[in-house]
Amino acid sequence: MRSVVLALLVFAAGPAFAAGASPLQAQFDGTVKPFVGKYCVACHSGPQPTAQFDLKSYTSMDQVKEDFPRWSLLADRLAAHEMPPKQMPQPSAAEAQAIIDFVHGVRAEEIKRLGGDPGTVLARRLSNAEYDNTIRDLTGQDMQVARQFPVDPANTAGFDNSGESLTMSPALLNKYLQAARQVADHMVLKPDTIDFAPHLMAVESDHDKYAIQRIIAFYQAQPTSFSDYFQAAWRYRHRAQLGQPAATLSSIAAEMKLSAKYLSMVWAILHDKDAVGPVAKLQTLFNALPAPGDAGLLTVKTQAMENYVTRIRAHTAMQFFSPKVTGLPGQSEPLHNWRLQEYADNHRKSDPNALRAANEPEPALPEIPKYPPLHEDASPRWAIMMMHARHGDADLVYPVGQKARYQAAFDRFASVFPDTFVVSERGRYWPDQATDNGRLLSAGYHNTGGYYRDDTALMQLILDKKGQDQLNRLWNEFDFIAHQTERTWVQYFFNQSGEVDGNINGTLSTESGSKRPVGHEVTDQFVILQMRDKYLARWAADKEHNDPVAPKAFRWHFGLINATLRNLEKEHVAAEPKHLAALVRFAERAYRRPLSANERSDILAYYKKLRSQNRLSHEDAVRDSIVGILMSPDFLYRFDLAGQKAIAAGARNETKTAKAFNAAPLSDFSLASRLSYFLWASEPDADLLKHAAAGDLHKPAVLTAETRRMLKDPRVKGLATEFTGNWLVFRQFETNNSVDRQRFPAFDDNLREAMFQEPIHFMQDNIQNERSVLDVLYAKYTFVNPQLAKFYGMPDLDGDADSWVKVDDADKYGRGGVLPMAVFMTQYSPGLRTSPVKRGNWVVQKVLGIRVPPPPPVVPELPSDESKTDKPIREMLAEHHKNPFCAGCHLRFDSFGLAFEGYGPVGDARAKDLAGRPVDASTTYPGGVNGDGLNGLKSFIQAHRQDNFIGNLSRKLLAYALNRSPQLSDESLVDKMNANLAADGYKFRALVETIVQSPQFLERRLPEVTAAAAPPPASPPKPAGKLIKTDFRKEH
Amino acid sequence: MAKDNFSTFRSRAFSRRVVLKGAGCSMALPWLHSVNALADAPTPADFPKRFGVVFLGCGVNENHWSAEGNGAEMKLSKTLEPLEPLKQKINVVDGLFVKALTNQGIHPAQTGSLLSGEHITKGAIIHSGISVDQMIAGHVGQDTPQSSIVLACEQPMTGFHETNFSLAYSSHLSWQTPDSPVPVEVYPALAWDNLFDNRGSLLNVSVLDRINDRAKALSTKISATDKGKLDEFMTSVREVEKRVELMRKGMNDAQDAAKTRNMSAAAMERPANGLPEDLREHAKLMCDIIAIAFQTNKTRVASLIISRDLSAMYYPFLDVKEGHHAASHDNASDNYERIARFHVAQYAYLASKLDGMKEGDGTVLDNSCLMFMSNMFVGRKHDNSRLPLVLAGGLGGSLQTGRSLNYLGESEDKRKMCSLYLSLMDRFGMKQDKFGDADTRLERI
Repeated sequence: MRSVVLALLVFAAGPAFAAGASPLQAQFDGTVKPFVGKYCVACHSGPQPTAQFDLKSYTSMDQVKEDFPRWSLLADRLAAHEMPPKQMPQPSAAEAQAIIDFVHGVRAEEIKRLGGDPGTVLARRLSNAEYDNTIRDLTGQDMQVARQFPVDPANTAGFDNSGESLTMSPALLNKYLQAARQVADHMVLKPDTIDFAPHLMAVESDHDKYAIQRIIAFYQAQPTSFSDYFQAAWRYRHRAQLGQPAATLSSIAAEMKLSAKYLSMVWAILHDKDAVGPVAKLQTLFNALPAPGDAGLLTVKTQAMENYVTRIRAHTAMQFFSPKVTGLPGQSEPLHNWRLQEYADNHRKSDPNALRAANEPEPALPEIPKYPPLHEDASPRWAIMMMHARHGDADLVYPVGQKARYQAAFDRFASVFPDTFVVSERGRYWPDQATDNGRLLSAGYHNTGGYYRDDTALMQLILDKKGQDQLNRLWNEFDFIAHQTERTWVQYFFNQSGEVDGNINGTLSTESGSKRPVGHEVTDQFVILQMRDKYLARWAADKEHNDPVAPKAFRWHFGLINATLRNLEKEHVAAEPKHLAALVRFAERAYRRPLSANERSDILAYYKKLRSQNRLSHEDAVRDSIVGILMSPDFLYRFDLAGQKAIAAGARNETKTAKAFNAAPLSDFSLASRLSYFLWASEPDADLLKHAAAGDLHKPAVLTAETRRMLKDPRVKGLATEFTGNWLVFRQFETNNSVDRQRFPAFDDNLREAMFQEPIHFMQDNIQNERSVLDVLYAKYTFVNPQLAKFYGMPDLDGDADSWVKVDDADKYGRGGVLPMAVFMTQYSPGLRTSPVKRGNWVVQKVLGIRVPPPPPVVPELPSDESKTDKPIREMLAEHHKNPFCAGCHLRFDSFGLAFEGYGPVGDARAKDLAGRPVDASTTYPGGVNGDGLNGLKSFIQAHRQDNFIGNLSRKLLAYALNRSPQLSDESLVDKMNANLAADGYKFRALVETIVQSPQFLERRLPEVTAAAAPPPASPPKPAGKLIKTDFRKEH
Repeated sequence: MAKDNFSTFRSRAFSRRVVLKGAGCSMALPWLHSVNALADAPTPADFPKRFGVVFLGCGVNENHWSAEGNGAEMKLSKTLEPLEPLKQKINVVDGLFVKALTNQGIHPAQTGSLLSGEHITKGAIIHSGISVDQMIAGHVGQDTPQSSIVLACEQPMTGFHETNFSLAYSSHLSWQTPDSPVPVEVYPALAWDNLFDNRGSLLNVSVLDRINDRAKALSTKISATDKGKLDEFMTSVREVEKRVELMRKGMNDAQDAAKTRNMSAAAMERPANGLPEDLREHAKLMCDIIAIAFQTNKTRVASLIISRDLSAMYYPFLDVKEGHHAASHDNASDNYERIARFHVAQYAYLASKLDGMKEGDGTVLDNSCLMFMSNMFVGRKHDNSRLPLVLAGGLGGSLQTGRSLNYLGESEDKRKMCSLYLSLMDRFGMKQDKFGDADTRLERI
């Protein structure tokens, strides 16, 4: 307040002001005060003034301005002849008009003097919702850590996003510290940058989980269905008939999201000349596909082709055994891995042993042996199972004398159709996965962890260069992030290497490892190669009987481990400077602006201090640097900074218009944040920052384009939630616990959440799809998920709680628009009855923005359970209305609430109340208009209260956008918003665009430099009595 | 040469966060009050209750694990012999088990929820339950610099066991959330630093310093009105700083007080960096750290894995050639008996140490409950239908000791480990209706 007063002193030309020379002051003293004394103070003064409105307490013009909404109401009620009450002495029409003119005059003068005033917008910390959204956009992970924060208080306009209400406390600071650590504990260091995991990265297994899930997700996203490729080939063949004569294999692949590279291979084999065997059979099937027009049959037929391919390939898959070395178990890691690699290299080969000449008898089938004991190779069992599988497959038979030709055809077939594209899980008996599966990417060891990569067919056939690089990177990061090769090696060393390490432990044991090496790390090259040599020696000890390939396997296995570890050492060293660069980028995003050179070096200096002084590792120091950034006021607070050039412009502005304030345009970065927190309740995205950096964001055309882009973005849910939630007062409904769940068993947490989400989905749709804001009141549609649909008695919906659909004929079920939403009906019911008073008050005050005086201190309580009363609620209210003191206010909103009597205490549509009495939703609105139920209410508002709704929506949105309570001088902007809204078909965006182009939004107040020179003003005495605070301007 | 399992480029990222969780900035200091209580005629109720777990992987030699009789008459079998001097202060409990960990496979499947009794999840998603030590830490941990210390003498394993249960289940006892075990600290030096160097609060001091710097830099750029908001922020920062300082000072005062009382607190020197070469030394250091942490009230909850499930520990000093897990497959052997007895001896060492620390008329042990347990009974059969269990300490007089309690003959629902946890949590003032698979208290305890 003080700054306004100061400004007033400076610009209102000195002592004359204090003497009250302004015409309004003269009116106030000469006309208003006597009028009030004569007609009003009999009730509106004293220790308990009626409606807590003490008219004697206003002694100065400033007080009138400060409490203008009440004076505005006074004028309205005078104009409507509602005041003074009929039984009291009545003023003449001219007397009343003078007061009304005075009130309008105050408004007009204030607009003239302060119109376009950005007002004092305090630095404000991020609200809890803004904090969560910002962390989400900053890290890419929706962690919702602010759930642990205390609820943000709202300002007088009802919003929790302004500096007036968003205070800081040590307790909250502690919460911020915990939250910052929690966020930082999701950090992942990658070879070239810093990232964040969706889950906590606390223990080693978390790192595994993170890396594995990314690889699995990549695998699952690849198009590997043979059937799809056959369909694509079919579409290409019939392209002309299908209306796409210009289509190519590539264009069809792109359209169907298939690999163009692979499609051309499939197409080629379907057109091989002189084909025999499986290729010929497949071509026959392909040529027999139905002509265009029968899509259903096509899918069946291409699926049959796929089944054929899958069977042939399953029966012709190559088989491998662990090399045999006397004294080593088949599942000895180097031997086991050799076998895995053989498989990986041969998915595109056809087993020659699978084929049989037409004159050869089927081989005799040996019995399938039991699973082998621990540590032994399960391949022999698998080989016999394979014989059983092949048995009787006529497609594996070739004509006598044509072995070579058919084997070539099978080879050709296998080269295009691998037996598998990827091996994404393995057990100990793999490839037999009948009893033993689910270990993702596992190598299938017995007791120790370990992974093995096998995606050669995917790499060779499906992936293009980009995809191959991406997959290689993911596997490399599995090592970089989770150290999988190192961990596998260490676990093997300590848990299994006893199978060869007899020199150390005496007896050999497959379940034991080696002792810690003396003078070396386990991961040292020396140790790895020493182990290799022990295996080589083991092989050499019985050379004649051992598999000659084994030495190669040993060299390969240990060489690969050593090379991987050595390479990772280098990568980790090389990555450190990249992480520091990423840290600076992170700070820029977090601070929502570029950093100065000092700020950059400051961040690096802090990192260095953590390493040297606090002795933290690189990873810990980076993590704590992130904590430091997230605890910085630059992140936690939004400061509106004026641009450098802008200050001069602001000074010009001041001299030109001689306004009672000094303002300057915001810097483009501050403007970017204002926009993003207004429209998304989150930080600016790259696009906005790009415009801010280019310095053109404030240009009207750019601003409009950006605003429209942002309103279409899903992040506008931030606005739908935070603005609507606070405006219509349901933001805290997710924690509502006032419903008696025994009496209303349908009301569970899921339904509560669905109720909470309904208005948000409604508003998000309204904004994104540019519907009329009047739909809020009159729409026949709403949005439901399966739970809500069921509760509303609508047809059942499929899907989970996140499946929301628009229901166009919601009016059939008594829904449509915001008014009858269950969230409001429930929130404004005190448990076991409805409350027409509370519901009506919500409509009148919150939805329509009509001021109603606060209730007197003592009000009679209505019974809490309507099933136990002998009269319906409306009759009890009617009795209450017999008291004229009560009726004065109640008649103004109870009628709105009675219209909802068709909705029970949890918003359930009902024909009878809880006592079984039929409900009556008819009502008489102020002015004597009759209506029935929801439709009556809608009609009444449309005819008599629509302007209130629009004005209220404009004011509320403005307060939300500006992060401050509205002030009287904003009224001209509100008028403009209302007008632009009507002119733009009542689209929400008209309100937004009017706001963002306004000086209030684009500028900030400059400090009143002259204020220091002026003598401190004598503060006017505060109005006495129990005034409800309705500050239009800040106190500070 | 330190026995560092992992090469040097490995960031030591996993040790520190436990600390920060506890120390965070939880500023309450009733801890000081209890130190003062040492000075003025304390009653047992003034002393904090502590809870500890010592773990041995892969079971015991069932032929040498038993106790009969009560009090001075109690007869302890060979493996339990190290507890002979303490037998008036222990309960040997036989026959309890965790139902959720039976009949779903061996090893990790038998270990993942020993302290919570919840069902654990196979495959990529790791899910168990909040363990009883962390429950207690959540309840009493706000009053101490660290809510708990979670130690191990053996590095965790990763990847999957062939049962498709994650090897994380084999490697961790303490779970702070159902999805997330508490990282174990294996380095004695770092565990010591976390306690006595107050690394957690030091780091928070660093962060707060940094906020100060940022605020100073910022205040040159913003308007006077905005400075008002920044001041409000900085006031909170200073307030938190003061409390951190107060807590650090309080801890130092308490250490001084303990010293002057000749309580041998902080008499322990900082262990050398790296991992001790010899398990005996490693285990002793870890026990010393727990004892001092309990005595000086730096934490009231501790868990120590001496050897984990599927342990790869070696015991050349016990003349056992095989590794721990391999040896457990012949658990009826003398070799494995020596391994189990070695673990009991470490447990006895810790209990005796606590018993040597006077607290009022009693000792720290008298105000503690120190649990010894394993994840199975008979290693060669992977039998976990009963679990070896010893409790030491009387929890401030609320837990009668000197008993051998046998629940083997009882029905399954009367011999639940989780019933014991409920009974213990009661004594920490945490009345739970249900925990894990139990909704009734253990009888006779």
